[in-house]
This record gives sequence, C-alpha cells and structure tokens, in this order.
Amino acid sequence: MNTSEERTDQKRCCTFLIEDTCFAIESDNVTEVLQRGVINKVPLASPAISGLLNLRGRIVPAIDLRVFLEYPATPHSIKQISLIVDISNEWYCFLVDKLLDVKAFDPHQVVPPTNNSSSALTGVLPDTDHLIHFLSPEKILKNLLDIRTESLSVG
Amino acid sequence: MADNEEFISEFLIEASENLDQLDQDLVALEKNPHAPDRLASIFRTIHTIKGTCGFFGFTKLSNLSHHGEHLLGLLRDGTINFNEQLASLLLELVDAIRTFLSSIESTGKEGDAAFPDLCQKLDAACLSVDTPSINRREERVASPTESTNQSNQHDDHIVSAHDEDPVSSNDQAKADNLVSAQSTDTSKNSGSTRASNSIDATIRVDVQLLDTIVDLVGELVLARNQLRTTATDEPTLLDAVNRIHTVTGELQEVAMKTRMAPIEQLFNKFPRIVRDVAAACDKKVNLHIDGSDTELDRTLIEKIRDPLTHLIRNAIDHGIESTDVRSAGGKSTSGEVSLRAFQESGQVTIEVSDDGAGISVDAVCKKAVEKGLVTDDAASGMSDERIFQFIFEPGFSTANAVTDISGRGVGMDVVRTNIESIGGTIDISSQRGVGTVVRVRIPLTLAIIPALIVSSGGERLAIPQPYIQELVALRKHGTSHRIDGLEGAPVLRLRDRLIPVVYLDRWLGLRDWKKRPTSGTVVVVKVDSHEFGLVVDAVTTSENQHSHATETTGLWFIVVKAISSLLAPMGIYSGATVMGDGSVVLILDLRGITMAADIPAHTRRAGDLQSTSEGLSEVIKESARYLVCETHYGRRVAVPLNQVQRLENFLQSEIDPAGDSCFVKRDGELTQLIDPDRILHTSEKLEKEPTNSSVVGVILPHELGNKAIAVRRIIDVETGHGSLEKTTTKSGLLGTLLVGDSATEVLDIIAASQWSEESPLS
Repeated sequence: MNTSEERTDQKRCCTFLIEDTCFAIESDNVTEVLQRGVINKVPLASPAISGLLNLRGRIVPAIDLRVFLEYPATPHSIKQISLIVDISNEWYCFLVDKLLDVKAFDPHQVVPPTNNSSSALTGVLPDTDHLIHFLSPEKILKNLLDIRTESLSVG
Repeated sequence: MADNEEFISEFLIEASENLDQLDQDLVALEKNPHAPDRLASIFRTIHTIKGTCGFFGFTKLSNLSHHGEHLLGLLRDGTINFNEQLASLLLELVDAIRTFLSSIESTGKEGDAAFPDLCQKLDAACLSVDTPSINRREERVASPTESTNQSNQHDDHIVSAHDEDPVSSNDQAKADNLVSAQSTDTSKNSGSTRASNSIDATIRVDVQLLDTIVDLVGELVLARNQLRTTATDEPTLLDAVNRIHTVTGELQEVAMKTRMAPIEQLFNKFPRIVRDVAAACDKKVNLHIDGSDTELDRTLIEKIRDPLTHLIRNAIDHGIESTDVRSAGGKSTSGEVSLRAFQESGQVTIEVSDDGAGISVDAVCKKAVEKGLVTDDAASGMSDERIFQFIFEPGFSTANAVTDISGRGVGMDVVRTNIESIGGTIDISSQRGVGTVVRVRIPLTLAIIPALIVSSGGERLAIPQPYIQELVALRKHGTSHRIDGLEGAPVLRLRDRLIPVVYLDRWLGLRDWKKRPTSGTVVVVKVDSHEFGLVVDAVTTSENQHSHATETTGLWFIVVKAISSLLAPMGIYSGATVMGDGSVVLILDLRGITMAADIPAHTRRAGDLQSTSEGLSEVIKESARYLVCETHYGRRVAVPLNQVQRLENFLQSEIDPAGDSCFVKRDGELTQLIDPDRILHTSEKLEKEPTNSSVVGVILPHELGNKAIAVRRIIDVETGHGSLEKTTTKSGLLGTLLVGDSATEVLDIIAASQWSEESPLS
C-alpha cells in the first residue's frame, strides 16, 4: 500500500550544491547539464543574470544562483555547472557550484516554508545527511523580473 | 469527422480567398459593368460555396448563397443590368458569407444569423428587374439555374459553366456577350489547367513549419561559421568545409525566400476599402495599384496592413475634395488615389498618393507652434517635409485643429509608431491644391537586419542601421568634433547643431563615470525626432573573415534572435545575434534607450540651435549674474555670465570683413564677430565704426562655434533682479531685465549666433 502510493506520487529532482547547502529543482524540465561555457554579459541587467549564452544557436539567459541566493561571489576555483531548464518553451540556464544527483522524492514529505511565500524557496526536505532546499525556477524568474522593475523605477 | 474537419478547413481557406477575389471583381464591375467574364466568375464562386455548404450541411449559408446565385445568374445572362445598388447588395452578400465562414471557423457551426432581410432584398432585386424583361427569356434563365441548383454538389466549376453555356448561346440579344462568355470559358479552362499544374508546383505549407526551417538554417549557418574558424590545412576537409559554406549560403537565401510574399495579398483588399470609404464620404475615387508583385517578408505584410488602411482612408476622407470643390477647382470630379510599391536599395517603398487638396504647411506650422512643439522662428527655417513630420506627433490633430488638416493627424502617430516598430520610416510631401504623397519605407525582412557592431567598455553591441545618421570620429584637439558639457549634459557640436550624447560604456555601467574619453566614435542616431549621439570606443569592421555577417561598407547583416522574456522588459535591447565566433551580441533598442536616457524630444524636434536656446533660457532666468556691455551705438546690453567663455580685445585692423560678416583670427582659427547693434537693428556695419580703435570680443562657448559678440566696452558684471520681460519679438533678444539698477536688454546668445550665421543681415 505504502509503496504503491509512493510510486504514483513520486517526483524526481536535480540536487546541487551552492557553498555547502544542498538545493534542488524538479528535474522534469531540466533538459541538459553542461559545464559553464562562454557567457556574454548583459549590461544593466539584474546582477543575478550573468549574461547570455549561445546554446546551439539558441540564446539562453544564464542566472547565477549564487548571486540570486545572496551567497558570496563565485570563487575562481569553482568551475560552475549549467543546468538548462525549459520553462514554457523558453530555455534558461541556472549556474550552480556542483551537481549532486537526480533523486526521487515524495512531494508530500516536502515541508513548505514557514512565512516568506515570495521567496523562490518552495520547501525543505530532510535527507539522509542534509536538508534539501527546493527552488522553483518560475519563482526565480518572477523575482528577477520584479527586482528589475524596481531598480529601473528608482534609476 | 476528422476528415470532414480537414475538408472544412480547406473549404474555409479557399472560400475566404475567393471572397477576397469577389470584393475586387464587384468593385471592378461597378466601374465597368460590361465584363461578363467577371460576372461569370462571381457566379461560379457563389455557386461553389453554395454547393460545398450543401455538402457539409450548412443549410443557412447554402440558402443565402442560393438567393445570391439566382440574382447573379440573371445578371450574367444580361436579364438584369449591373448597377451600384446591386453592387452594394452583392458586397453585402459577400460580407454575410464571411460572417458565416468566421462562425464556422471559430465554432464549427454556421451560427444563428440567417440574414432573412438580405435574402429578401436579393429576391426583390431579381423580381423588380425581372418584370420588364421578356417572359420567355425569364423562363429560360430560370430553368437552367434551377437545374444547376439541383446538380451534383461535387460539380466542378468548369462543368457548371458548361451547363450554363447553352443558355447564353440561345440568348439572341447578346451576341457580344456570347463571345466573351466563350472566351471566359477558354480562359477559365486555361486557368484551371494552370491551376492543376500549379497544384503540382505549389503546395500549402504551415507558416510555422517554414519559420522552423528558417531558424534551423540559421543555426546551420552559425555552425558553418564555427567550422570555418576551426578549419585546418587538411585539403579534403577544407574542400568539404568550403562546399558546406557555399551550400549553406544558398540554403539560407532560399529559406529566406520562403518568408517572402507578394504585397498583392494586401493590396487586393484596398479596392473594396476605397469603394466603401468613398461611398461613405460621398466622393468619387479611382484607385490605381502599381507594383503589387513586390515581395516582402510575410510578417511585415501583416504589420503594414493597418497603417496603410489608415493612410488610404485619410487620403479619401481628408485628401480628396468633394465633387463640387473639385469641379470648381477645375479638377475631374473623381479623385485619384494611387498605391505604389517598389523595391529600392534593400527596402520596400510604398507610396499612398492622392490628387486632393494637399496639406497646408502654414496650417500645420501654426498648429505645431500652438502645441508648443516648435517656436515660430525655428519653424520658419524648416523644410516643408520637416514641418509635415509634426503631423505624426501624438494628438497633433484635435477637435479644434485647423480644418485644413483636421483628421489628417488622427491616428497618424499610431501609423508612425507601427511603421517604425518594424524599422521603417514615413514621410509626407504635399502641395496645396495638387495632392499629397505619403511615403512609407520598410525593410524587406526583420529576420536579418543591417547593423553596426560597436565595441564599448569591452563589450560588443549592435546598432540597427535604419536609425544611424552618421558616424563622427572624436578628436583630441581642435574644436571641430568635440564633446562639451552644456550645463552638465554632454553635447556634440556637429556643424550647426548641438546633439546630446550618451557615453554608452558608462551609461551601460561598463566603466565608471570619472574620466571622459577624448577619442572614440560618435554614432549619431535618430529615433523619431530625437537625435542623439552614442559614444563608443570603436566600430567593428569585419576583420574577422569567418564571420557569417557579410560586411559591406562597415555594416553587418545580422540574424536577429529574440532575447529572453527575462531581459526584454528592460527595454534597452531589442534582440541578440550570434557572431561567427559563437559569442552573443546584444542589439540595442534605440527607442528604449531614447526614453531611458531621457533624450530631450522637443529640443530635437524644434531642431538646430533653437532647441538649446529653450534650454538655456531656463538657465538664464536662474542665473543672477550678467555681463553688462555697451554697444558701439551706446545701447546697454547684458549677456548671461555663464554663457561667456572669456573676453578679448581686438584691434580694428585685425577685423576682416568677409561677405556680410566680420571675422578675427584667434589661435589660427577664424572667429565670427556678431554685432549686437545689427541684431537690434540700430546700426550700420561694424567696420564702418570709426570712433573706436579697439573692439571687445565677448567670446561665446565653443558649442556655438567660434563666435564672439563685439561691443565697445564692458560696463560691469551685475546682478539681475525680477523677471525677464519679453518686450520684443526680435530674434536675438530674450527680453528686458533689471540688471544692476537700470533696465537692460538681455541678448539671446544662441539665437544671435544662429541669426548672424543664417540670415544675411539687412
């Protein structure tokens, strides 16, 4: 009984590290994983937007999750990894420190965040040795758009 | 059922094309009723629609077209003569059928509208004219028409046409009709032969599929370019790379062609529109269409539909005069509107011209001044074309607009915005009493645009070519091309103009604001009426041979790709392109930058130096300190101190008269002397003044050129009090102000410098 329920409800997620924290996004829309390639800057864009990369002729915006999550700037020693995510037919690249694994999980066990619903954090899942912080790519994009509007209206 | 849906969608496409054709045919018939071949083709179209509807079970539509068909049958056989009422009635029928079709398209059902009135009118039209006609003929006509109605619904056009043939040949009265009817048949036959051939030669393809092909080819091109950059010395590989290069190039060209379509499909809508608008305005208008085979990007055709419709409506409604006025003016009673398209230097030009009343330059000018878009003085120096540009200003024409142009401006700003959004331009030329020509220039395609690649602060950026006016190299020394601060805002002095500049690197946050570069290039761009310069480090010519962007005269042809919806709202990038080395280059959205960088609109619109004059007069009101001087004829004048660069003494002997002006040599360059007495109309020429052996030159800021105000002596520097009284309309004088303890005339430095330069003083 228990196992069948798990099977129907289970989802898969991509887990990755930023500094020492484990994050995850649902892997349904992750189309590929690459080494960080050449990223061309977009002047005046929100700092979390590292720039644009050319992925087989498609122009894909790259979002540095370190910057977005307000971690210190990426040290040179880290070779970032690009997660390419398809969000309603537009491709986005999320830069992370290190890719961990693709895991199956039960969404019911994810504990929703306590208060700040506006944040991109959708929940936390206790795992064997650490907590997995779930991020919603859609919410990240929405946040970035909101930040941008604010900064422009000030400037 | 699925099959049925497919047939229905085919039927809908075909029927709507045929209806467009009907519009044209009916309008043409109205002009020239003796064209039995057209009538026959109209008849066939309606007949086919009726037949197909019956097949699909759309009884209401079938019934309606049956009524129409009956009337058309009578018309075709000459039982009834074609006239305007019938044309309107039949056009009404066409619209009604369209209503049905759109209902079928959206809901799959024919809808509730049955148009009983229209059916009645159609029947009435048949009867009313039937009565006087010979009974015998009526019978004959009626029966074959009926037989056609009952005939197999799969009837081919040609078969049905043949069915009708005996009727027309029996018709004794219409010998010539017979001939043309037969010729119609042959033409129809040859037409259908062509059609059946073209079934093999052309197919309908989903537009999205074509776009995907174009996109894929674009990616192939990029891959090819990358391949070329890494090509080795291996001869066989090199050979293959070269062949891939050639084939990809050709493939790209062919793929781009699939996006192109003749403008005909748009132009064909206009005869009907012209007819309707002319009828509504109670005017007679002939439409001439030329160059409808001109090809341009399919997506662009869709985008110019509304602007062109607007322009044509305007031409008829406001351009063409009423019949009375026309005949009084010695013109033919029917107005001529012409629509012309042609390709010209990589762009498509579309002209909408009319032979109507034309636009009054004075009226536009007056309105523009009223609206505060321009000052009187500035407008007087402007060309007619430039003045007509005011018509495109938002809300230019309002209810209380001058009647000559009222309505002319309604929506014209929208027209311009639409045209410019696709990288086009629009201008008007008009001659009072002769007519107006509106010229729209648009690029052939939006997928590949010519652009300049510039580097700024270590980044490469693309500037679309249509906005670029000129490139100016900045020099370290010399006054010719220098950037100066004018009250904090940097400006470039270019010939007689002051152009605001934006340091692209700093504006984009790529470098800090502290040091101002003295070298580089200014790309002078114009967006609407905002003209400004973008200071960049360098313009990239295609040294990189491997780039896919073909280089001609410094321009690159870049493949435009959409940037993410994450970045599009920034409003400063309109897209991006991938260069040969695989790097991404952003395309600047100049329209957005104009707004974001707060480029003054009015100043540019007002044009030339007048613009800054407005800006400066603001400064003058605030500036409290004035240099008070005495002119040679003893007038007391004041110059705002912040507009004085320095003072210099000149000897009379140093002054060289040249033409109407006087010059002195300073630092190896000529400085023009401006005599305030002449501006104030108080004196003769400067060099004739004998009483003084020396002249004091008040040197003006170099934004205004090498100019100096020549006075007899400097009285003092004093503070102004109160507000500036506009006591004069004389150009060159701002007004009178209490400076020190006496009323003093304040010189308008900018107008003065412009004045002496442009108008010979008399």
